[in-house]
Amino acid sequence: MKLGRHVRLGRHDLHGLTGVYALDALTGPDLDQYEHHLHQCPPCENEVRGFRETGTGLALAVAASPPPGLRERVLAAASVTRQLPPEVRQAPPARLRPARSPWLPRLAAAVAAAAVAAAVALGVVQSSTQHRLDQAQAENRSVAAVLAAPDARLAVRRTTAGGVATVVASQSRHALIISTSGLPALRGGKVYELWFVSGQTARRAGLLPAPAAGRTAPLLASGLAAGDGVAVTVEPAGGTSHPTTTPIVVVPL
Amino acid sequence: MSTQDVPGSRPGPRALPGREADLAELLTLVARGDEAAFEAAYDRLARPVFGLIRKVVRDPAQSEEVAQEVLLEVWRTASRFDVVRGSAMTWVMTIAHRRAVDRVRSASAETQREHKVSVAAAVAPDGVAEAVESRLDAERVRSCLDSLTELQRQSITLAYYGGYTYPEVASLLSTALGTIKTRVRDGLIRMRDCMGVSW
Repeated sequence: MKLGRHVRLGRHDLHGLTGVYALDALTGPDLDQYEHHLHQCPPCENEVRGFRETGTGLALAVAASPPPGLRERVLAAASVTRQLPPEVRQAPPARLRPARSPWLPRLAAAVAAAAVAAAVALGVVQSSTQHRLDQAQAENRSVAAVLAAPDARLAVRRTTAGGVATVVASQSRHALIISTSGLPALRGGKVYELWFVSGQTARRAGLLPAPAAGRTAPLLASGLAAGDGVAVTVEPAGGTSHPTTTPIVVVPL
Repeated sequence: MSTQDVPGSRPGPRALPGREADLAELLTLVARGDEAAFEAAYDRLARPVFGLIRKVVRDPAQSEEVAQEVLLEVWRTASRFDVVRGSAMTWVMTIAHRRAVDRVRSASAETQREHKVSVAAAVAPDGVAEAVESRLDAERVRSCLDSLTELQRQSITLAYYGGYTYPEVASLLSTALGTIKTRVRDGLIRMRDCMGVSW
């Protein structure tokens, strides 16, 4: 931990931070230290709750109608987004595990659909050989793992080519899933290529499937490193090893 | 699905008057994957969420992106809403505020904010009832803000609407960190009491 002002905050100082904490004005080591304190201080938790409700008043006072297209986009995105399960205190009994095929992921319908779409997008379901099927099932499990990861973060960005990109990324799984809607279809065999971006360097992360009915199916990209963002460029058929065009979207993660 | 108002006698937290209870019910349904409930929740949340984000982020295109992230986050994490820990609206607005400040504090957003000229967002016509309701809320909040000392008011609005960290607020107001900390807390206590937040 960094030495300095932050570590010298005393108990009394911590208690006084309720206000700035409730307004999200606390950052860095102060924030970590305060949150640690908060769990052991029920009166502080109570005060934070009251202040958050007060903040809601400040928020409602500036309510404003969003642009008309937002509703449709949010509802469409929700229909293809897996929901987090509730936090259940006890671990499920071991006997509930399916005994017959331990490697088959137990997926909810939505995840299964997304996973299958991703598997198709990745071109792994191209033949009925056992090898291909195993590969597809491995992909399904990876997609499910990213979507269900506790640290999964969701980001939505407009692209300069039109449409939006939706990314679910998990640092703990070193992977992300990207899908898009409203991207124009490309001519002449060109492709949308995905990159992991860190500073000035870009690493190949895969090719987006061709848009169908205005959408690209979810693509699973592995190899995400800490501090990476992602970007999409338009590249010649088959993709390239380095981006040759300006990204149509950059998503910091 | 049930979207009708629940009688006000329902026990539990109360932030501001209005149809808080049924928003909580809607979220319970949303957590079970009920898309119709999510549509109803969207209609209740879109204006507060977008309004707050636009206040903090300012750039209309970025505000829309963040609003979409937040509303999707509501869908995705509805199962984590716990009525015991606060009101449904506050659960959502806490997510919205955090996402908005995350956006303005990220370096890329800083550059975009500096180089981009903001255009007024296209504003859709409001429902009359909603508009009246939010105008009343707005007036009440404004009069409560007016009851604060100048330093309390500036500290709170710079932190909440401006998305500034508290060292940044201290620097903007040329005031010691410890003073800002105290003024924010004292100001919030006054606001809370003035607005009649019961928690």
